Amino acid sequence: MPISAEHVGRRYPAAPPYVVSRAKIAEFARAVRDDNPAYFGDDPIAPPTFAAVIAAQAWGALFDDEELGLALNRTMHTDQNFTFHRPLRPGDAVVAELSIEKVRGRGNLEMITVLVDLTVDGEPACEARSTLMHTRPEEADDE
Amino acid sequence: MVRYSGASTDFNEIHFSDRHARAIGLPSVVAHGMWTMGAGLKVVTDWVGDPARVLSYFVRFTRPVVVPDTDEGVEVVYTAKVTGVEDGVAKLSLSAHCGEDAVLGAARAEVRLD
Repeated sequence: MPISAEHVGRRYPAAPPYVVSRAKIAEFARAVRDDNPAYFGDDPIAPPTFAAVIAAQAWGALFDDEELGLALNRTMHTDQNFTFHRPLRPGDAVVAELSIEKVRGRGNLEMITVLVDLTVDGEPACEARSTLMHTRPEEADDE
Repeated sequence: MVRYSGASTDFNEIHFSDRHARAIGLPSVVAHGMWTMGAGLKVVTDWVGDPARVLSYFVRFTRPVVVPDTDEGVEVVYTAKVTGVEDGVAKLSLSAHCGEDAVLGAARAEVRLD
């Protein structure tokens, strides 16, 4: 059975924590061409959208869930929303938990909103909410 | 794009291989949506100074940034406008254009000013 509104609320076990490093923060800041001094030096913080790197790794649970029948190469990221509670810093062990928040179907398109809660030591650091548009191949349309 | 692929660990080939990009109907490689979003926040953090002041950030990916394999590459122009300030929090509306095309839609951020 493909993904449907029935799957709203499904939560996946968190992957092992992602440990933030100074080198990765600097690498990411350079990749988005942001030379803000806050990202470098002795006590850097991660650029806010670095949270997406950890959140996107949590998406794996969604594509690994065979019941949903989702394929990454048929998926488009259509919008992204972040709520930041505190910046990520080197040494933070970030736990990312994914849940399915909304599912809407339109023909062979599925719009899926997923929420990834990022926490450090049990305290919220960031919520990363993404809408994904998935195109279901015709042959799987067997409702 | 290669640098962002490595930094983000998003190794979708359409971001660095013209062959893979053409296979799904794109003219050439396209920027990662998350790169376009991430680079755009600089307009906001340059203004507010401390990136830790950013409270929220939303974008819709309206069209991909097509990146030609030339020395010049392609230019994305970002602007941001303060649309309101309330209780020490500024709301901003952002735009991102590639030539005439808007590449981000409904983009907005909130930052703490105190």
